[in-house]
Amino acid sequence: MYQYDVIDKEFTDDRVAEFREQVGRRIAGEITEDQFKPIRLLNGLYLQLHAYMLRIAIPYGTLTSKKLRKLAWVASTYDQGYGHFTTRTNLQLHWIKLKDAPDILAALGEVGMHSMQTSGNTIRNVTADPYAGATADELDDPRVWAEAIRQWSTLHPEFSFLPRKFKIAVTASAKDRAATRVYDIGLAMRRGRGGELGFEVMVGGGLGRTPYLGATIREFLPTRHLLSYLQAILRVYNRYGRRDNIWKARIKVLVASLGAEAFARQVEAEWEKSEQEQVDLPDIELARIRADFTPKFEALKPRSEAVEKLKASDPAFARFLRHNVHPHKVPGYALVDVSLKTPGQTPGDMTSEQMNVAADLAETYSLDEIRVNYTQNLILPHVKLDDLPAVYAALKAAGLATPNIDLISDIIACPGLDYCALANARAIPVAQHIAERFADPERAEAIGELKIKISGCINACGHHHVGHIGILGVDKKGEEFYQVTLGGSGEEDAALGSMLGPALPADKVTDAVEQMVEVYLRERRDGERFLDTFRRTGVAPFKEAVYADAH
Amino acid sequence: MKALTGNMLQDGEAVFWSHGRWVARFRDAELFDDAGKAEAAEGAAKSQQTVVVDPYLIDVIESEGLWAPLSFRERVRCLGPTNHPQHGKQADGGDDIDALRHAIGAARSTGRVNLIKRK
Repeated sequence: MYQYDVIDKEFTDDRVAEFREQVGRRIAGEITEDQFKPIRLLNGLYLQLHAYMLRIAIPYGTLTSKKLRKLAWVASTYDQGYGHFTTRTNLQLHWIKLKDAPDILAALGEVGMHSMQTSGNTIRNVTADPYAGATADELDDPRVWAEAIRQWSTLHPEFSFLPRKFKIAVTASAKDRAATRVYDIGLAMRRGRGGELGFEVMVGGGLGRTPYLGATIREFLPTRHLLSYLQAILRVYNRYGRRDNIWKARIKVLVASLGAEAFARQVEAEWEKSEQEQVDLPDIELARIRADFTPKFEALKPRSEAVEKLKASDPAFARFLRHNVHPHKVPGYALVDVSLKTPGQTPGDMTSEQMNVAADLAETYSLDEIRVNYTQNLILPHVKLDDLPAVYAALKAAGLATPNIDLISDIIACPGLDYCALANARAIPVAQHIAERFADPERAEAIGELKIKISGCINACGHHHVGHIGILGVDKKGEEFYQVTLGGSGEEDAALGSMLGPALPADKVTDAVEQMVEVYLRERRDGERFLDTFRRTGVAPFKEAVYADAH
Repeated sequence: MKALTGNMLQDGEAVFWSHGRWVARFRDAELFDDAGKAEAAEGAAKSQQTVVVDPYLIDVIESEGLWAPLSFRERVRCLGPTNHPQHGKQADGGDDIDALRHAIGAARSTGRVNLIKRK
């Protein structure tokens, strides 16, 4: 993966030194909290319910074993020995002390990591398809482009004070594993008529208080013009985005109010008049970046006798293969999903010990790479088929082999009111309770793909709008209540969920999920997922089942 | 009845005002039944900019003969995260922690993780 060069290293070191001095001045009382808060936020440091929270950037969700071990070390040295992977593929540490933050950032800097632009009204950490560079269905490795965007956008002077935060996701597959439709800018690689590669450019997606799916403003942008076109979009947003009202400041509101066509015209006009060649990446620089995303694969047999043998004798391994192991673009290799969703555990949480296990596995068996998926799971992207039994055994011993990827217990949950200063209700215990109810792997498998996403407030970090079942915690006269939506999707069939009915008290949520699952099992036709059945039947039978008692 | 709370500048810990100093446990918090005295304490706390961040007053109710913050959010701050009972102030246990867990203020929940008792 991409390695920081000398300039990058000096820059991050300077940045840490600057922050260390700023923290010192804050503690000494030389600057006020009002002056300091934007500074600490620009370094990813929030003050939450119990302590400071540090959000560490994991660009396009890609880690090496060295980086993951450093995260494990930071979590056990400065935190309580665990971290929380987020839907933005970052890692959050929830028990940080302000006085330790500069030392932590210095330690992260040693392995080319930082917390820049994980907060504030800037271009945030760029995300990408977590299967990048490993899946057969991609046109290119989208991380090459994500890295180009990262370099261009990091501390970009023109875009450091945008009207509001700004998030970009990149995919190069028809299957959208990066939720590009719900990003400020979603980039999906397409092949043009002449064989040239380009991006479909989607703008104005987003969740939160006013959810929108992104609108395509350009069907095909040649890849070489990516940065100049992004600059044009950002310039239009910077000029016209609402700075007077935080609830209307995101680009999605601008695109919705202007209309996608009018917005696109503005962007095209801005792009035409800009000096594109000064911004677009020279081929030589692109080649330099690309060289860091070309792992050395071996020529292997496409079938492993060791795997076939164990599959035949161990049903649990066979189930793991069905749900957590996916085809790789290179024969003889596989992608392995590492579940952070053991029923009863906090979704996305990982202990330092588990991080070290995953790092060891990545180093030994996955060409030293590990990925973070926005679904709050990890991925070992390049595992040889012959090594799957050993990887499975090690993951199982560490509690990381739950065979539930994309099943009902693979729930996204934000930290919610257990940690977050913005939350209205808890999300984690709701997820734990549902996952425990459906802990039986045979039952979960019989139900099939079902994506539950839970947020503890309207900011929607838990992506509830795009859950097949979405659950939103609300404060109803001081009590925790939960609004349920159905039929959302964050993938290539993206859709925002429809409201089920009145909000439910906390102790009714799991029962409601079970009732809806029963409706689905009753109504489903051959091969239908929960989402397909819902789209065919509409909300009525689900609503009837959940609110039957109320009538 | 009110109490005064904030987070310590250096480590972010939730703390409570008690006669001019900050204490970690809610049971040791000074309670105000006089709005004027509460606001005076808040004013004094706001001047301690190198000690505490963003101090504010919270409503307090009775629970099992002890006191507890009215809002669920504030009770979580007094206890720690409900998904990790070994973390935060709740880890030490005690009658005051139990009283906080059992409190049923306006922010009444339904007791699924035993944070709040169902009635």
